[in-house]
Amino acid sequence: MQQSILMLFLGLLAISIIVFTYVYQSSQKATDLDRGMANPLKSRFWFLLILFVILGIFASVTIPKSPYYFYADETPSRVVHVAAKQFAFVLSNNAIDPKNPVGENAIELLENELVEFRVTSFDVNHGFAIYNKAGQLIAQTQAMPGYVNKLRWKFSEPGAYSILCLEYCGMAHQIMRSSFTVK
Amino acid sequence: METLKLRKITSVWIIIVLTLFVVAIVLGILMRLNQGEIIQQSPITFYGNMTTHGLTMIGIWFVAGMAAVNYLLERYVKTSYAANLFALALTVIGVLMLWCSTFIGEFHAGWTFLYPLPFKIMWAEWATPLFLSSLGVLGLGWLVWSISLMAQILKKYSISQAFAWQHFSKNPKVETPPFILITMITLIGVIACLIAAVILLILFFIEYFSNGSFVNDALLMKNLTYFFGHTIANEMLYLGLAVIYELFAEVSGRPKWHTTWYVALAWNLSLIFILTAFFHHLYMDFVQPEGLQIIGQIASYLASLPAAGVTVFSILVAVYRNKINWSLTNLLFFIGVAGWVIGGLGAVIDATISNNFILHNTLWVPAHFHTYNAMGNVLFSLAFFHWFSNQYYHHKERQNTLKLSILLIGGAGFLLAFYIGGAESIPRRYSTYPSDLPMGATLASIAALFASLYLIAILIFFFNISKKCLKILSSSPQSS
Repeated sequence: MQQSILMLFLGLLAISIIVFTYVYQSSQKATDLDRGMANPLKSRFWFLLILFVILGIFASVTIPKSPYYFYADETPSRVVHVAAKQFAFVLSNNAIDPKNPVGENAIELLENELVEFRVTSFDVNHGFAIYNKAGQLIAQTQAMPGYVNKLRWKFSEPGAYSILCLEYCGMAHQIMRSSFTVK
Repeated sequence: METLKLRKITSVWIIIVLTLFVVAIVLGILMRLNQGEIIQQSPITFYGNMTTHGLTMIGIWFVAGMAAVNYLLERYVKTSYAANLFALALTVIGVLMLWCSTFIGEFHAGWTFLYPLPFKIMWAEWATPLFLSSLGVLGLGWLVWSISLMAQILKKYSISQAFAWQHFSKNPKVETPPFILITMITLIGVIACLIAAVILLILFFIEYFSNGSFVNDALLMKNLTYFFGHTIANEMLYLGLAVIYELFAEVSGRPKWHTTWYVALAWNLSLIFILTAFFHHLYMDFVQPEGLQIIGQIASYLASLPAAGVTVFSILVAVYRNKINWSLTNLLFFIGVAGWVIGGLGAVIDATISNNFILHNTLWVPAHFHTYNAMGNVLFSLAFFHWFSNQYYHHKERQNTLKLSILLIGGAGFLLAFYIGGAESIPRRYSTYPSDLPMGATLASIAALFASLYLIAILIFFFNISKKCLKILSSSPQSS
């Protein structure tokens, strides 16, 4: 998915560079007799309309794919409680006591089961980002003190998954991580 | 008409901005070298540099835009020298306090200083109040300056004229110059976000002095932080656009741009979109009301319409098959608009919630905002600096192609490393990368090399422009 996004961006980047270069070169070749674009108001109108339609299509296609709606009509078969605290994650099958945040040594999930991660923080803002074994970010939410963010996900591939903190949380942010396994 | 005092204070702003820019770039390169494992810094040093780099960059390009707008506004209204000087003094004091908190106090909560991180002391205890106070000092100076400029506009133009509403009717009797319209719209956004910053700081200080009896709401504080941070970063771009509307046609030997109904409409709508787009920073906070998340995506999309359809299109129309007197000034403006467009494309992609789900807080984020800053806004300001200093001490422009090529090659390589890093899921704000993400270090090393090229180009601009600004500073009324 990320690679497709990069390709889309590089395509748009190339178009932009071509347009700006073409326009620049047209001015270099222009003489005193040239009078620029014929009917720029009409061109502007069409440009805006096309842009509006493209963005409208993009919005209507992508908004329903927002993570807030993932598996909203299903009941999770598994709940994993996550508490972030400088600079570690506590993962538990049960609610985590802020005064004694203790979790399981290892969390094992089943392939294709609907899991709900209930993510919070006991100190500052953290990120809860799930990476697959190929090192690709596949899902994330934030861990915010005083709030619980619920992330629903089904893992389609078994294996080891890493959890990385993606919200800057202090001097050891870069080593704040955890893991779980999908069987 | 501009006075010698205004000319001199504008020169001081330019020298300060360029000096701090060089320092901030060096800090950025050191960060990339550390991530590339070419040098070794402690995480505290790295994150302290990151905090200084981010806030210094935002601050200098905001004041660069403000100084340019203040200088050009004198063509239409009398501006307050005292407010300009007040902002300058408080900016210098604020930056010194900020640097003291980060370099000496080792404060390193990042430029976002997300609540409650500044209260989790991992640095000298005095550094937190000093850091927050430095922001208060900067905010006060900028708020007074912004309000003063707006008040001067409203002395000459009524509110409806300042917003160019008369252009919605046929044959308006008074024309609002585009520069006035854009400056007005931008200043409202600036004042709104600075007021949000003041509220944010007050809430921080209430908790700080309450000894635990008052605790802030993390979600509200995050919304306030990004309303301030996102908006000011956007508005500094719009300050640059105001300068383009005023100067591009003039330096290109083309007819001056006028306000039309669609220019007026576009900029009025921009104000609404700018003030609501910040919600896209909180997409991954699922507890934020869904309606605000959707507003974030739609406002971010809609913000691109007036920008692309009016401003970018106007630049392209002005240049397409028209004879242009190309100089370094309008070349920088033109390339800067292209950089702004490309950064905007990266931003719209990331402002799509389903994309943000896998890009948020990866290197894609610094990729897009560095694009429209380093290759957009910086170029707008450099164009103004060059044009301004050339008015008084004109030197034949030499090796423009070389200077621009170094700038573009350096900038492009440095930015591509960020974009590829984002697509490779490399986290942002990591002092070093974990061994299971080896691409991070490689890309960082490449980025440091290209960023050094960018620095070389900036140093050339710095010496050329500062030399002329120093001459302006030492000039007397007779020599002007």
